[in-house]
Amino acid sequence: MLAASLLLLFLGLAASIVLAIASRAFYVWEDPKVLAIADMLPGANCGGCGYAGCAASAEAIAAGKAPVNACVVAPFETAQAIGEIMGQKVEEREPEFSWTSCSYGVGMADPIFHYNGATDCQAAVMLYGGSKLCPIGCIGLGSCVKACQFGALSIGDDNLPVVNHDLCVGCGACVDACPKHIITLTSATRRIVNEYVTDECTAPCMRACPTGIDIHGYIREIRDGHYEEALKIIKEKCPLPLICGYICPAPCELNCRRNLVDQPVAIDPLKRFLADYEMSTGKHFNPYKAPDNEQKIALIGGGSEGLTAAYYLARLGYQPTIYEAKPQLGGILRYVIAEDRLPRKVLDHDIKGILDMGVEAKTNMVMGRDFTMAGLLREGYDAVLLTSGGFDSRKILLPDHQKFDSSIRGVYTMLDFLVALAKGESIDPGRHAVIVHNGVKALELARKCLESGAEKVTIITHEPLDLLPMEFRDTKRLSSEGIEVSPASMVAAMGGISDRLVRIAIEPIKPVSENLIQREIKDADTLIVSSARLPELVFVHADGKPESPANGIKWQTIESFHTFPNGRENGIFASSEPGRISDASAVVKSILSGRRLARAVHQHFTDGLITPIENLVCEADYVLNITEVHDVSPSERQQPALLDVEGDSKTAWIFPKEFPGLDETAARKEAERCLQCGLICYEKTGVKESEKKDA
Amino acid sequence: MEYIVLIISAILIKNILLAEYLGNCPFLGTSKRMDTAVGMGLSVIFVMTIATAVTYWVQYKVLNPLGLGYLQTIAFILVIAALVQFVEMFLRKFAPPLYQALGIFLPLITTNCAVLGTAILCIRREQTFPEAIVFAIASASGFTLALILLAGIRERLEISDVPKALRGTAIGLIMAGLMSLAFFGFVGVDGSLKALLQN
Repeated sequence: MLAASLLLLFLGLAASIVLAIASRAFYVWEDPKVLAIADMLPGANCGGCGYAGCAASAEAIAAGKAPVNACVVAPFETAQAIGEIMGQKVEEREPEFSWTSCSYGVGMADPIFHYNGATDCQAAVMLYGGSKLCPIGCIGLGSCVKACQFGALSIGDDNLPVVNHDLCVGCGACVDACPKHIITLTSATRRIVNEYVTDECTAPCMRACPTGIDIHGYIREIRDGHYEEALKIIKEKCPLPLICGYICPAPCELNCRRNLVDQPVAIDPLKRFLADYEMSTGKHFNPYKAPDNEQKIALIGGGSEGLTAAYYLARLGYQPTIYEAKPQLGGILRYVIAEDRLPRKVLDHDIKGILDMGVEAKTNMVMGRDFTMAGLLREGYDAVLLTSGGFDSRKILLPDHQKFDSSIRGVYTMLDFLVALAKGESIDPGRHAVIVHNGVKALELARKCLESGAEKVTIITHEPLDLLPMEFRDTKRLSSEGIEVSPASMVAAMGGISDRLVRIAIEPIKPVSENLIQREIKDADTLIVSSARLPELVFVHADGKPESPANGIKWQTIESFHTFPNGRENGIFASSEPGRISDASAVVKSILSGRRLARAVHQHFTDGLITPIENLVCEADYVLNITEVHDVSPSERQQPALLDVEGDSKTAWIFPKEFPGLDETAARKEAERCLQCGLICYEKTGVKESEKKDA
Repeated sequence: MEYIVLIISAILIKNILLAEYLGNCPFLGTSKRMDTAVGMGLSVIFVMTIATAVTYWVQYKVLNPLGLGYLQTIAFILVIAALVQFVEMFLRKFAPPLYQALGIFLPLITTNCAVLGTAILCIRREQTFPEAIVFAIASASGFTLALILLAGIRERLEISDVPKALRGTAIGLIMAGLMSLAFFGFVGVDGSLKALLQN
């Protein structure tokens, strides 16, 4: 007994002595910061931060390789506590959440076969890409649910994943698990800067809407009576819902699938109903606003484009200031459109909503007289946006109030020069002139420039050499004259000092590869473009930071929008896409321009690059669609209630003092008419046609 | 020759998981994913070999001379637990990559009955020291084999339509039982093998 006890005591003692020595001898120094940070991290090992697990993440944070708020799961307080350890200030991080884009599950969508294999989406996709007719539809086997460690996902009764937003931490595990990219990680900010592409589920109305409002989204919210949610959805893409409700030409309604059955859904009146509802509450529903990032942006022009750009910049965390030449904001909306069509209280309501978001406005500020672009940069603005919209931006009033000149000296339209030449006036092209034009007129102008003292002229054409007029082909002769032709290229950026153009960047229209962009910087004194007006321009400091103004302010422009060229033009003088050049033909188009400008500024300051968008939805691209609908019972479009006038109410219809909107009952009823379309799915409301025939 | 029979017997015929029914906890606990199963298997090979060597020495140099053979179980537990701790510290200092790969499994093995069982079996079968070491390596390899096989099956089960009541551990146990039945088919192979080798 004693021997046994002693033996165990001895063994225990021996083991503890060995371990004690070992713990000293084999001691490995660990950064106490790593331990402290690892303690604070949630320990879920979800990988949302991009590291293998919480321990790896803690090491990366302690080493300064990862930001202190790298963890997507931990609340803001944790990031703050980690920030204290690391001695860093923490910026609040925008919450991210999962977003499912498919709304017709297996069972509701049209199938091509019945799948009875392994219950795993990856496995199901291997068989003809899934059992649905729609190539991008949700397979509903729940690979995302299995991937979620936080129990935030479940497969609902309609075979579609349901995100529980209270539990979702935005780690992105489901995004990796989904073979169809149905689930994406998004945030309020990303919803704003998002553009639709051909391989995502979009309804015809959304694709037709110039600014891309999630139309069936807000109509669904009206159905459920969630008007504030509906307004939130509209304001992701359009900050002027009331104005649009009055004067939008509503191209969405032309593309509504209800046209195949009866009349389109009253999409625009429904938007008006929501905006009326907002106005009736007397306050503005301001959605998520990113924390201030202390970057100041100046916008020149306070019309719908400038207002929109300022609104989204404010929501993205910038501090925008609008400079408006006229005494009041609104531009064309206020000074051109008849008051009968757009009552001024409507305008004032929406403009106040934009100012409420944190936008500052200075009126009676004329460019050239009261301020210049370079002057604004010198004052400390990080970027200046030229958002003159429908008004001409190429000429400004000089301080002597007598003469007009270009807002950027050295940049002119071809017309300016041709008119001057026709009048017999002298022109000053500087030493090196650059002409952007495809036609023979460019050669004529180039020779005039050479006669007027230019040493060299470069002609930039969008077309490749073999598609240009014959006169361009003899490059040898042209170069002996001093004319260089740069075919199939574009002006990607301009740079200058103070208010003068100094250099331009030329890129080939079609990039050699996605990653390799061949940019050629050239000195240029004059840039002559063939478009009628200057494009929407964004000016930033040339080296990313304000310089000493002794040598003048160095600036450069950034691209305001970028798609991969599929037969269309690129570069800052390309004309086809809003965002590059403003389209004042409808308010909703200049809203798109404004939003894309805000997007460009945001991308420039966050990623540093204006990233191209492939497969952008636009009229030219092929998008999967259907040409007929079945099993939908016709129902009549709701009309606004007639005015409460005596006598013949039809006359009141023709010239109403104020055009009436839908009331709540009518709006809810109209919302029911929406087919909630997807790419090829839609709500089948009526009796099945086959059954109808039997009856 | 005898070693070949010993190895085949330990891996296939008297598989420590499927025939001896030791170490069921890690068998079900770490067989959900293939990479975990591989990590656990390698850790068990490593620890089981060292533990058998050390406990062999404790049995024959400490317990037996003192006539305290009946303390085998408690002494072995003590020794193995201390050993695993020691090995963990050692690896951390001198072989960080190995520690990264096996580190999180080592504490799991501290009180593993498969390790203890192998150590005791060696003594009970009165094996020589080299036999005991070979037996330990072979047993652990058998453990790894069974674990990896089950992990493969369970990864398939994840995407199969399993009745709701049986999902998870329940179907895992059924699979382990079926595997055990399959391995039962190896019984008698050692006898024939022995005869074959002797001729």
